[in-house]
Formats: sequence, structure tokens, C-alpha cells
Amino acid sequence: MSVASPSSDTLKTGPDTVVEALKQRFEERIVLEQATLTGWPVIWVARDALTEVLAFLRDKSQAFEMLYDLSAVDERLRSHRRGLPEADFTVFYHLMSLSRNRDVILKVALHEADLALPSIVSLYPNANWYEREVWDMFGITFEGHPHLTRILMPPTWKGHPLRKDHHARATEFDPYTLTVEGQDREQQALKFDPEAWGMKRRHDDSEFMFLNLGPNHPSAHGAFRLVLQLDGEEIIDCVPDIGYHHRGAEKMAERQSWHSFIPYTDRIDYTGGVMNNLPYVLAVEKLAGITVTKRAETIRVMMAEMFRITSHLLFLGTYLQDLGAMTPVFFTFTDRQKGYEVIEAITGFRMHPAWYRIGGVAHDLPKGWEKLVKGFLDWMPKRLREYERAMMENAIVRERTRHIAAHDTTEALAWGITGPNLRATGLDFDLRKQRPYSGYENFDFEIPLGHNGDAFDRGQVRIEEMRQSLRIIQQCLDHMPAGDYKADHPLTTPPPRERMLQHIETLITHFLQVSWGPVLKPNESMQMIEATKGINSYYLTSDGNTMSYRTRIRTPSFPHLQHIPALMRGGFVPDLIAHLGSIDFVMADVDR
Amino acid sequence: MAYTLTRATDAIATDSSQYPLNERRRVEDPVKQQIHRNVFTGKLEEVLHSAVNWGRKNSLWPYNFGLSCCYVEMTTAFTAPHDIARFGAEVIRASPRQADFMVIAGTCFLKMAPVIQQLYDQMLEPKWVISMGSCANSGGMYDIYSVVQGVDKFLPVDVYIPGCPPRPEAFLHGLQLLQDSIQEERRPLSWVVGDQGVYRAEMPSQREKHREQRIQATELRTPDSI
Ligand code: SF4
Repeated sequence: MSVASPSSDTLKTGPDTVVEALKQRFEERIVLEQATLTGWPVIWVARDALTEVLAFLRDKSQAFEMLYDLSAVDERLRSHRRGLPEADFTVFYHLMSLSRNRDVILKVALHEADLALPSIVSLYPNANWYEREVWDMFGITFEGHPHLTRILMPPTWKGHPLRKDHHARATEFDPYTLTVEGQDREQQALKFDPEAWGMKRRHDDSEFMFLNLGPNHPSAHGAFRLVLQLDGEEIIDCVPDIGYHHRGAEKMAERQSWHSFIPYTDRIDYTGGVMNNLPYVLAVEKLAGITVTKRAETIRVMMAEMFRITSHLLFLGTYLQDLGAMTPVFFTFTDRQKGYEVIEAITGFRMHPAWYRIGGVAHDLPKGWEKLVKGFLDWMPKRLREYERAMMENAIVRERTRHIAAHDTTEALAWGITGPNLRATGLDFDLRKQRPYSGYENFDFEIPLGHNGDAFDRGQVRIEEMRQSLRIIQQCLDHMPAGDYKADHPLTTPPPRERMLQHIETLITHFLQVSWGPVLKPNESMQMIEATKGINSYYLTSDGNTMSYRTRIRTPSFPHLQHIPALMRGGFVPDLIAHLGSIDFVMADVDR
Repeated sequence: MAYTLTRATDAIATDSSQYPLNERRRVEDPVKQQIHRNVFTGKLEEVLHSAVNWGRKNSLWPYNFGLSCCYVEMTTAFTAPHDIARFGAEVIRASPRQADFMVIAGTCFLKMAPVIQQLYDQMLEPKWVISMGSCANSGGMYDIYSVVQGVDKFLPVDVYIPGCPPRPEAFLHGLQLLQDSIQEERRPLSWVVGDQGVYRAEMPSQREKHREQRIQATELRTPDSI
């Protein structure tokens, strides 16, 4: 598998210095270094040392500029924990140093009687939403948090869904009913209360207007609500309200077999299709110890890049539509249709093919695929040129987007911004180059960068990215390796059919693996990829079962939305709309 | 043809009444009853109904409302390759007050349900609801704590479109089915004519209608060639 590539080997030698430095500095307050398959040092720290350790790591000498992820695990039912510190709940902090290209994961053990931690919002501003999410999902409090309220579930909800004793299914309960009174109650609970957020209703001579943008608004790109505090056209402050699209994907993973969870990943970033399968199957393959064939790797890269293009095309159409240009969306959707013709012929479906498998892909490329792919590669470049000429060089588009909602790299890192939005600020960080996976190191392509980190650059970078994706697909077409599309490994799911009908033993194994699914050894693994909207990763914990014990899905859009208020204060409403268009988010990628 | 009668006045909403509020009853075609009374005015009414319905069904204005993945396929139906304008339903409205029908395109989340109800209430009669995709139809693959198992738990649905997501063509098919059902509807022609009830035709189930033909397919194409 791709972790064995030379560049990730060089990555691996690095992080030990972090562990050394921590042990030297904090001595016995560094409890343990846990061996995992995440590829990074996983260090258990004492609760009272947490803030100091994080401050130390963020500091110049260690340079972990970004809080990449923060979540928790309910450890109470986990049976394979030998050697790990006693804990009912574990909270983990995933830090990332982009300048030194290395990560570290910190874990803190908590006991049921005392589920509290210090908030780290003052160190990493983007911890704010993550801590709220942990409170919402696990009921762990963060002392000193500015506004610790529910974020994904409705304010009237009781219980914490990701706890092991919380029900998973809707059908475990009476069918949903909505009464007139319940309707009133829910609507009242959703009402925005400025005072609760420390907002004033008026200043000296005028009253502020509070405007609800969403939960259903054409520019909100889905079920997303933004409450604006306005003084005329000027945005004094705003509060994003999410959770209208929470489908409980992480809880779902705890009751689906490793194999049958794949279709759920498609629906995380729902414009990304099979791109979403990639980090998940790569992480599962690490747990299973599967090395996939070159052909399977290349097919995966090709289809993932096809989806990067269709996703960016959707972005481009809606971004320009948000700016008031009505026609581009008709053009980009025509191109998407062309893309889907290729995707459909190869995978059998349009948006959610769920086509990658543990150990390979669902089936081999069909006869005649080259012609289709070639047709698409011939079609696209002139269209992209046209978009640039007609749109990005258009005076109105430029006026509306240049230097609008601009931020620099430092700010982006502090807020956990990744992907094209980060590269628009000029930082050259793309996982496909920095930490290649699935064979990306064999491809020749460039990483487009912006300069100003504004709404314009975010659009321009994506157009250029589509060109680079076309280059990658061209190379897949020219050099598609021969061989099998599935790995020859006992845990490959579904196992090769030819082996099934030899004798009763093979039939039984096959039957078990298809019905129960593979059993994976207890361990933890993780895989990040450069998805369409930024860095997406799956952090899997196996307890030696047919199902995952905990699946943490880190998505790029969540921090991107959290950044909106910091960026928009002092801006104008039309700038906000331009910014929303330029972020490129879908709500499933935020709320999961 | 059998009809479902809905009268807005049948149910008086109290705090504990459940959505959907109106009571529904199965009845016979109301025009038929009138024909028995008077052949001439009965015929006239039938012609009038069909003229009004013809107008309605060919200028349906959709409400711009999307929940999740299915919405992407719904918007795809609005763009050039599928061109919904062929069916007179391209005038997408951003306000529920100007829209004729709402497509529940996507998952119906618990947190979103009261909002959907509010938006539906803001639409003016006559109004229709299309439920698009498995999630909206029944919760689909999301039998999970945060998802309502089908939007028909609180909204009256006229057409269900299966799929996850349904293709844009399937959405267009659903729209045409809605049009067919509108053609058969009997709504009051004015606030003084008729009994002020809404009579919806019970349309034949598509599954039963096509079963014979579908069952004929025994050989499916292999995925080995394009
Ligand atoms: S039915 Fe499928 S495609 Fe549609 S919203 Fe649900 S999960 Fe998404």
C-alpha cells in the first residue's frame, strides 16, 4: 500500500524528535506513547499538562501551527485496551505542522465522574466548534469555553449521541410526529438570542438589524443558517448555525461492517463521489495489512480526479451564479454531464458509485474506457479557457471578488483551513505532493497557488486545479498498468469469486466474509487525503471486530465555515455572498 | 376513478393536533355526481376543470429548496442537458410564497423538520409536494437518530421518486406524474362554486403498471463493456 512509498518513510523518521522533546520537558506528565498504525506519534498526556503541552507544541521550535482535529472516543465498551491508561472517555488532539510536514496526536484520559477539560480556544481558535461538537456528542465539558452549547443536534435534544449507551436507530423509537405545539416549541428554540452571544441590539444612535440567512437560502448552499448582525449593509458580526444536515455518519460506522460502510462515505462530501471512499479504504487497508496492485491504485487515482473535476465544475457554476452570472451554471453542468458519462460507464452510477473496495475496486475497467476518457480530455481544456476568458477576466466578477474576504496563510492555519482555500493564500501544501498516497508520487503535475487569499484566488486556483487533474487523468490513460484490480489477500472484500467454488472450506470462508464482513485486528489507523475541498481523513479504531469501534471523520468544510465570522466582520452583505460562493462547501461535509 | 377529498376546514387545529392537519377521505369523482344531477352543467364543469388544470400543470413553479445530495441531481434537471423548461417548470422561485410545488430533495433531518413545515405552510394553495430520493421517501439508508424516517411523517406527499439519488431523468418523470395527477384534480373553480373541497385523483401505482414489462427483463447488461 501507499504508506510504503519512499517519501512517507522519510516522514516517519522525523516525529520522534517531538516525543523526545516532550519527554524531556514534561517528564512523567507524558504518560505513554501508544503504538498505532496512524503513522504519527500518539502520546497520552496528563490532563493537567494538556494546555502547557499544546502551548509548547504550537511554539516556534515545534511549529505545530494547526489544530487539525479534535474529538473523543467512548472507551467504556472497548475490550482490547491492554497497556493503555485507564479511561472511560478519551479526548484526542491532532496537531499538524505544515512547515515541517509532520503531525502528532495527543490523548487525554477522562473518567465518567469527572468529564471536564480545559478549553484550548485561546491557543487554537478553531478548537471552539470542535469542543462544542465533543460536548454535543459525548457530554464532555470544556472549562473556559466561550459558548459551550449544542452544535449539531437541535437545542431541545436530550442525550449525547456518540456515547455507547445512546440509541443509534430512529426506528428504535416511536415514529416521528410533529404537532402544532411541537412545531412552535422547536421554532422558538431556534430563535436567535443576541444577548446569549454577547451581542448588543443597538449602538449609540441606531438599532442593529438581525437577519436570518437560512436555514434555507439560495446562497447558503444547503441547510445552513447564518445570523447576521447588520448596521445597514455592514456586517458587525455573524453567527453560523450548523447541524441541519447531521446524518450521524460516525455513529452509523459503529454498526456497519467495514465493507458496508463504504456507501456512507460517498455521501460525506456528496459532490466528491468515490474520492470519499479513498481515505476510508486506505485506512482500512492499513488495519488489514493489504497492499493493493498498481492497477487498482491507478484506477483509483483516475476516478478520484474525475470527481475532483466534476466537483470543481459544480463549484464554478454556483460560485459565479452567486455573483449574479446566470449562464455559467448551464455550461459547467454540460461539462459535468460529459464527466458523468465517463464515470457512469466505468462505475455504473453517477453521484455515489461506492465503487472502491477493501483491497481494490469493484470491477475492472470496461472495454472501451480509453475512448471515453480521451473524449473527455479533449473536450475540457477549451471549456476551461473559455471560463477564464468569459468569467475570471470579466470586470464585474473581478470587482466583486478581488481583495474580498482575503486572509493570509497564518490566519488560515490558525483556523484549520486546508485545500484550495489554503493554497489560494500562496502556501504550497498539497497532500498529493507532501504525503503522497495511492501512487500520486508517480504522477507529473503542478500545484496551483494564489497570492492574495481572496475570493477571486479561490476561484482561479480551482480552475487551474482542473487542468492539473486532466493532466493526471491523461497519464493514467497513457500508462494504465496491467494486472489485477483487486489485491490477492485474505481480507480483500469481496474475495475473488473464482476461489469460492473449489470446495466447502472456500465456500464457507467466502460466505462469512461476504455476510459478516472481514474481522480486523485491534489497532488504530488513519488516512488523510487531498479531497475536493481540503483535507479529509478517517481515523479508525478497531476493537477486533467486524465493525469499527469508532470512526472519526474529519472534513475540511467544518473549519471553513467556522472561519466565516472572523473574516466577515466589517464586510458587506454582497461580499459575504461572494465569500460563501468561494468557500466551496456542502453541508454534508460539515455536519456529516 | 377514486378520489381523495381534503377539506381545509375539516380539522380545527389545536396544540396537540398532528401534521399533516387536514382530514382526508376516499370518495368518488365529484363531477360524476353532478352529471347525474344535470348533464349539461356537469359537462361544462368537466371542461372547465380540465382547462384550468391544463394551465396549472404546464406552468408549475418550483420552490428553490434543497436538503442534500438529491438536490444536486434536481438542479441538474434544471440545466441545459436536461432542460426542465420543456415541461414548463423552469421558473424556480426563492420564496415559498411564489412557488407551486416543493421538492423535498434530500434527507429530512430532525432539526430541519420544523423548518420544512414552516416553509410548506408559507406556500399558497394550490400546492404540491414531491418527495425525491430514498431519504425523503423513507429515511433511506439513514435509519439514524437524527433523521426523520420519511417526510410523509408530517407533509402530504403527492409523488415519490425512488433512487439514491434519482437520476435527473427520474426527477423529470416524477414531475410528469405530478402533472398527470394535477390534470385529474377537482379544485373549487371559485370560492362560491362547488363544495370547497380538494379532490385528488388516486393515480395508478407505477410499480403495478410496469410490473409485467419489467419482469420480462432477464438478461442484464454486463459491466465489462461500455
Ligand atoms: S436519497 Fe441518497 S442521494 Fe438522496 S439525499 Fe438521501 S443519501 Fe443523498
